[in-house]
Amino acid sequence: MNEKKEIQTANPETGNVTQEARADIRAVKAQQARERAEMLEEAGKPKEPRTVSKTYYNSVQRFKQRVYLTFVFVFLVLVCLLVMYPLIYAISAAFSPGKSISNINIIPFKNGFTTEHFVRLIKETNYIRWFRNTLIIATGTSVSTVFVCSLAAYVFSRFRFILKKSLMLMLLVLQIFPSFIGMIAIFVILHRISGLDTLWGMVLIYLAGNIPYNTWLVKSYMDTIPRALDEAARIDGANSATIFLKVILPQAKPIITFLSVASFTGPWMEFIFAKLILRSNENQTLALGLFSFVTDKKNEFTMFCAGALIVAIPFVIFFVITQKMLVTSLAGAGVKE
Amino acid sequence: MFKLNRDGSSKKKILILSLIFMGLSHLIFLKQYVKGVFFALIELLFILGSPQIVRTIINMVTLGDPQPGVPSKLKDNSMFMLIDGIIILAVVLIFVVLYFISVKSAQSTYKDYCNFGSLLKNDQALSSLGAKAFPILGLAPLVLLVLFFVIVPLVFSASVAFTNYSSPDHVPPNNTVDWIGIDNFRSLFGGDATWSGAFGRVAAWTLIWAAAATTTCYAGGLFMAVIMQESKIKIAPVMRAVFILPYAVPAVVTMLVWQNLLNGSFGVVNRTLIELGLITKETIIPWLSDATLAKFTVVLINLWAGFPYFMLLTMGTMTSIPKETFEASKIDGATRLQTFKSITLPSVLYQTMPLIIMSFTFNINNFGAIFFLSRGLPEAVDSTITRAKETDILVTWIYNLTINLNKYNYAAVLAVCIFVALAPFAIFNFRRTKSFKDGEF
Repeated sequence: MNEKKEIQTANPETGNVTQEARADIRAVKAQQARERAEMLEEAGKPKEPRTVSKTYYNSVQRFKQRVYLTFVFVFLVLVCLLVMYPLIYAISAAFSPGKSISNINIIPFKNGFTTEHFVRLIKETNYIRWFRNTLIIATGTSVSTVFVCSLAAYVFSRFRFILKKSLMLMLLVLQIFPSFIGMIAIFVILHRISGLDTLWGMVLIYLAGNIPYNTWLVKSYMDTIPRALDEAARIDGANSATIFLKVILPQAKPIITFLSVASFTGPWMEFIFAKLILRSNENQTLALGLFSFVTDKKNEFTMFCAGALIVAIPFVIFFVITQKMLVTSLAGAGVKE
Repeated sequence: MFKLNRDGSSKKKILILSLIFMGLSHLIFLKQYVKGVFFALIELLFILGSPQIVRTIINMVTLGDPQPGVPSKLKDNSMFMLIDGIIILAVVLIFVVLYFISVKSAQSTYKDYCNFGSLLKNDQALSSLGAKAFPILGLAPLVLLVLFFVIVPLVFSASVAFTNYSSPDHVPPNNTVDWIGIDNFRSLFGGDATWSGAFGRVAAWTLIWAAAATTTCYAGGLFMAVIMQESKIKIAPVMRAVFILPYAVPAVVTMLVWQNLLNGSFGVVNRTLIELGLITKETIIPWLSDATLAKFTVVLINLWAGFPYFMLLTMGTMTSIPKETFEASKIDGATRLQTFKSITLPSVLYQTMPLIIMSFTFNINNFGAIFFLSRGLPEAVDSTITRAKETDILVTWIYNLTINLNKYNYAAVLAVCIFVALAPFAIFNFRRTKSFKDGEF
C-alpha cells in the first residue's frame, strides 16, 4: 500500500499509475514476499537446543508479560492523573465560592458548589458581548482563510508561472515569524484604512497571519490529488474556476475541514493583537475579558476559570471526537516528505 | 509600419514598443484592445501618481524635520512617513511585476501569431485572457494581503532597527526619528554593557529553551505513543482522549491555571506539599520565583502542554511502518528496546524530521508558554533598565520593549536577529519538501 502510494505520487506529471509504476509495484511486492519467506525460513530453524521444558518457559514469559503490563498500566494512570491535575482544579475553581486561588481547598470540590460565577459572568460582565465578538472574528477568519488559502494552493499546485518558486519560498520563510513582530506597522496600516477598533480589522490581521503556513499545507495536500481528474474535467470543457470548485475542493475536503477548524479555533484565545487593536468596551474579545480577571492588580481566579470553562468545553468535545482525523491530518499534512 | 512579419523578425519591434509604454504593442500591433487599454491605464495611473510617489520616498529618506513650535498634530510624523514609504515601495514593486507581465504577454502573443498566422479575435482573446488570468486572480488576494499585512510590517520592523525610534527622545508625533546606521546593533552586541549583557542572557536562554522544549516534548510524545501502541491496553482509547486534553484546551487558559497553581505562597501545589508534610511554610518551593528553578518549571509545564501533539503525530507515523517488520524482529528474538531502537525510532525520526525543525522554530517564538506562565519573571539584575527578566525569551522581550519601554529600535534589532537565525531552518525544510525534490520549480 505504502509503496504504491509513493510511486503514484512520484509521478505528478501523469497523475495516475502508469504502466511503469505498476511494474514497479509488482517488483517491490515480489521482493517483499521473497524477503518474508526467507525470514520465516530462518525463524523456523531452531536456533539453540531448548533445555527447559516448553510449559515452564511459557509461564515465565507470561509472568514477565503480566508484570510489564501492570507496570505500564500504573504508569499510564499516573500520567493521566498528572494531565488531569490542573484541569480538575480549574473545573473545581469555576464552581467554588470565593475569588482567588488562595481560598481554594487543596482537595478539589471541597469548598462547596456554586454557580454564582457563571451568573455573575452573564449578568455583571460583558461576557455575552465578548463571546459574540469573538464568534464573529473567528467565523470571519475561518471563512476567509479557507477561501484565500485553498484558491492560492490550487494555483500553486496546478499552474506553472513566473516567480512561482520565489513566491513559495517567500511564504515558507514568512511563516516562521509571529505576526506581532510587525505590530507597530500593522497598527498604523489599520489606522490608515480606519480598521482600528473594528472586528473586520482583526479578521484581516488573523487572515494575513494564517496565509503563509496554511497555503503550503493545502498545497501539499492538493499535490496528492491525481491530475487525471482535472484533465478529464478540462476535456469536458470545464474552466479553471469550475475545476477548482467542482473537482478539487470536494477531493480536498479533509484538509479544508482541518483548515477551517484550525483557523476558527485560533482567534478565541489570541491576546496580543486584540489588546493592541480593540480599544473600546463593546469590541472586547473573550481573551481580553478573561485575562482582565487575573491581572497583577486583581485575582479573580474563580471567575476566570468559569469563563474559560465555557469556551474550553466545546473545544475539548470537538478534539476528542475528531482525534482520529487529527492524527491523519497532522501526520499527512505536516510530513511533506 | 503597422504590419507584423510572421517569420519572427518583428520580435524587436514588439519588445521595444511594449517597453516604451505598457500595453502599446497590444494596442498597435496585436489588436488586443481590452488588454492594451488595461495595461495603458495602469501606466497612466502610475505616471499621474509619480510626483506623490517621489515625495513619499524622499520623506522616507529624510524622515521629516523637527519643527519646533508647530502643534504636534501638524508636525512631520516620522513613523507615518516610513510606513508610507514602504507601502509605496510595495506599490512600485507591483507595478514593476505588472510591467514585466505585460512585456511577456506581448511576446507570447506575437509568438502565437507567428505559429498560427492570425491574431485572435477580440472575444477569443478575451476567453483566453480569462484562462490565463486565473492564476493571477487566484493569487491576487494572497499576494496583496501578504504584501501589506506581513511583508510591509516586517520590512518596517527591520528598517526601525536602523533608526533611533525609542522613548523618551525620539517618539513621534512630538519628535522626529532619524536614521542612525548600525548603532543599535553595536550597542546590543557589546557597545553598551547593560544591554549587551541582557541580550546575551536572553539569546542564550532562548536557544536552551527551544532545544529543551522541543526535545522533551518530542521524547515525551514518542515514549507515550510507543507505550500506548505496545501495551495494547483495553482502555487505551479512553486514555488517549485524556492525553490530548492539554492540546485541546487553549494554551492561554492552561498556562494561566498553572501559574496560579504554582504560586509560591498561596498556590495549590505548595499548599498540598505542606499538608503532606513534605515541606514547611518556611521552605516553600519557589517554582516560578527562583531564577534556575523557574527555567526548569517552564520547560516541565511546556512538556505537559506539548507532548500530546507529538504523541498524536508519532502515532500517525507509526501506523505507516509495515507490520511485517515488527513481526520479523519479534521472530528474530529482538527485545522491546532493540525493536524500538532499530525500527521504530529511525523510521519515525526520519518521517517527522521537518516537524521537529518546525517545532524548534515554533518554540523560539513560543510567546504564550512564557508570557502566560511566568510572565518572564523572576526579575534579573538589569531588569529595571532592560525589562529583560530571567525567563524572558527573545519574543517576550520584544513585546516588553515595544509595549512597556517603547524601545522600538532595540525590539527591531531582536526581530532581525530572529530572522537571521531562523531563515536557514525554513530553507532547509523547503529543500526537503517533495515538490522541491521532484524538480517542480
